[in-house]
Amino acid sequence: MSGSQRLISTIVALFLPILSQEVRAAETAGPQELILAAYSVPKEAYEKRIIPAFRQQWKQRTGQEVRIRSSYGASGAQARAIIGGFQADIAALSLEGDLAQVAKAGLITHNWRDGPHQGIVTASIVAFGVRKGNPKGIKTWEDLAKPGVEVLYPNPKTSGGAMWDIIAIYGAGLKLAEPKQGPTYTASLLKRIQKNVKVMDKSGRESMTTFERGVADVIVTYENELLPRIKAGRPYEVVIPAETLLVENPVAVIDRNVDKHRVRDVAEAFVVFLRSEEAQRAFIEFGFRPVEPAVVGTQAAALFPRPAHLFTIGELGGWEKVEGLLFGPQGVWTRTVEELAREQ
Amino acid sequence: MRKLLIATVWLYFGILLIGPIAYLCRQAMSDGVAAFWGEITRPEAVHGFKLTTEITVIVLVLNLIFGTVTALVLARQQFKGRTLLSGLIDLPFAVSPVIAGFMLVPLFGPETLLGMFFGALEIKVLFAVPAMVLATLFVTFPFVVRELTPVLQTLGKAGEESARTLGANEWQVFLKVTLPAVRWGLVYGATLTIARAIGEFGAVLVVSGNVLLLTQTATLHIYQSYVDFNYVGAYAVAMVLIVVSFAILTVLEVARVRATASDG
Amino acid sequence: MKPQTLASIALRSAAIGYVLCLVLLPLLVIGKQSLAGGLASFLEDIRQPQAAAAIVLTLEMALVTTMIHAVFGTLSALALIRYEFPGRWFLNAVVDLPFAIPTLVAGLMIAAIYGTTSPLGAWLQQGGIAVLYDTPGIVLAMLFVTMPFMIRAVQPVLMELEREQEEAAYTLGAGRWATFWKVIVPGMMPGLLTGVFLTFVRALGEFGSVVIVAGNIPMKTQVAPVYVYGEIESYNPRGATSVSVLILLISFAALVIMERLTRPPGERLPILVHRRLTVEPLNR
Repeated sequence: MSGSQRLISTIVALFLPILSQEVRAAETAGPQELILAAYSVPKEAYEKRIIPAFRQQWKQRTGQEVRIRSSYGASGAQARAIIGGFQADIAALSLEGDLAQVAKAGLITHNWRDGPHQGIVTASIVAFGVRKGNPKGIKTWEDLAKPGVEVLYPNPKTSGGAMWDIIAIYGAGLKLAEPKQGPTYTASLLKRIQKNVKVMDKSGRESMTTFERGVADVIVTYENELLPRIKAGRPYEVVIPAETLLVENPVAVIDRNVDKHRVRDVAEAFVVFLRSEEAQRAFIEFGFRPVEPAVVGTQAAALFPRPAHLFTIGELGGWEKVEGLLFGPQGVWTRTVEELAREQ
Repeated sequence: MRKLLIATVWLYFGILLIGPIAYLCRQAMSDGVAAFWGEITRPEAVHGFKLTTEITVIVLVLNLIFGTVTALVLARQQFKGRTLLSGLIDLPFAVSPVIAGFMLVPLFGPETLLGMFFGALEIKVLFAVPAMVLATLFVTFPFVVRELTPVLQTLGKAGEESARTLGANEWQVFLKVTLPAVRWGLVYGATLTIARAIGEFGAVLVVSGNVLLLTQTATLHIYQSYVDFNYVGAYAVAMVLIVVSFAILTVLEVARVRATASDG
Repeated sequence: MKPQTLASIALRSAAIGYVLCLVLLPLLVIGKQSLAGGLASFLEDIRQPQAAAAIVLTLEMALVTTMIHAVFGTLSALALIRYEFPGRWFLNAVVDLPFAIPTLVAGLMIAAIYGTTSPLGAWLQQGGIAVLYDTPGIVLAMLFVTMPFMIRAVQPVLMELEREQEEAAYTLGAGRWATFWKVIVPGMMPGLLTGVFLTFVRALGEFGSVVIVAGNIPMKTQVAPVYVYGEIESYNPRGATSVSVLILLISFAALVIMERLTRPPGERLPILVHRRLTVEPLNR
């Protein structure tokens, strides 16, 4: 063989395995494989408990093996990837707004909000994580605004978690304010807390790792981020403010992809499974609040204290309205940040 | 004066480079050798190493071919727009890898010409290995060209011309005269390409889909470990990447020194 | 046509085609996205307070990085070429490492050693020096990833520089400083300029390491690539691409200026020579 022939055959030999792997992947994404795109936080819950349990149940029920490929990343990034062509069959995201974007792009054609619990599978609340012993005595939102207290939460532009956190501040402010003083007080509260933020990571998880690295006195995050870490022995405490936001995480089947891959029955079974007792108990184990009443009655009431003034995004006007109000170009948070920068 | 200079240089390297790397290695080993080994032999880590290797090899071959072609053109030919071409070649240095990844979405997305073309062929480009290869190709593109062009220039055409007058055809001239003369430029360009491809993160994060055990390169696995609070795991795999790159760089150095010495 | 000419044309078309497809096309695509609304919307995007602040901060940080490397990188190159000292081979080998280390890892490493959980970080914090999450952290990250550029650009040019020239000047009575400023520095100008521009351009676009070590507070410690990422993630691709296009234009302009400035007289192409150090010192 001449040199050039050898070169060409080497290249072909190199390309072939990669391409054929891809083609094969497309072929076998038939009845046996599901692709799950989830936000980063529930990874352990899915990988360690829920996916294996579902596979077993499906095998018992239908005799079929199902393989679940999973991807975990920031909720917004996952939504965008799905819109950009990532062929996920199921999306388990942090907030409704991201799922709505996927639906808007035409990938979800059924009304996922019509399902049980309006499409929600897990819940949590926005809480504070403080160092063991709570040296700065942090109990309320106003404590976060005190000078000398360093606060941590991620950037709402890139993190769904941060959006939950800031909306919680906003809602708490409205609840705490004197009648008719709502918007003024809450803007002031938000500004004073934001002033105490020195670092904004790009995701909730990264925020948690920054907290673990010794930065800040208090982290504002999901309760379910803090509980497993404390269980793993980290020296933190959870402080639940009296007024806080109920976090609700939705799941939906991506119609266009399940039909393309012909896996609709498995995918829908998986979503149903997420609300089964087995799955909900698994979620509890990893710090999530369950949505199914059957489970709620027994264990959850004991494990998860109910904040005195819990509010939901619905009460505040819904995701679209609140997102625009806080994070749009003229949004309360956007303007707060700009004002703070100018004042320095 | 000389001592001060050398001390300054050591300090400069120490603060910027050696300190952080040494600390990383220490953290990687902080749970003991067994834990370190366990982390780098986990299925996710092994898959990551394999995928990184695959992508690096493909990118290397493509860059060697097209980089050489481009270098030949730049070094030997005069034509309008040559400066522009030359400037374009350096541009991947300037593009943030995240952008490099995002550029592929409007190109290969499901609503685009290319996207629909490949979709019809049942070939997944975005959120699969091909897109990761393309993104890595983009960021490693300048290396071979930049290493080869000046060497080719310095070489001059004399050798090639005499080969031609002796009756060799273009292909033979290239293989037997040009290539051997520029082999060290090629090798150094290849080394930098490998090193950069191994380390690529931002672009593949965006276009890979980050599917566990399917499209996670070693670097993506490091990120996953880090956000899973598995710091030792992240540092351990990172250390492997650093050691491998360092080994490649050192082997090249030693080989080159030996070759120069024997060339006389 | 002579076979040689045919081959030349084929080669040229292949090269141009490849560069256009791989480099230009994707860039045009994002250019199109940002300019889809016309020049007015492009200007509006980059004049948003957060965007403008991010761009300015990035330029400042990149400039500081470049200046630091211009001094210390050049000194390092000098030391590595001129003097034999224990460990020289090691330093020379690790210079290229930042190319190989994922930017994420670079960020993690710097955050680990200079953060408050490490002994060094704690000591610095007691001394009142805040490295991480403030502008020094950003500069550190940029310094790390751009380290090879200056040294590798200056080294070969220094090698080319005839040692005799320097010695001649010295024996003719010029002091060490005079020799340095009047002989060495002008001689290595092409390498220095190349290093400066490449460092600057690379620092402008750095994301993976900076996002870990910077506070990323908008208008305070948020660099342009992080701002761009934020805009993409919040469904504002137009704003993101506008800022990216601006940074790219600045980079492209810098690169073209570099090409022009570093052309040796009489030649048509710049010298960006990366030749490795040989063990024996320069001895002609």
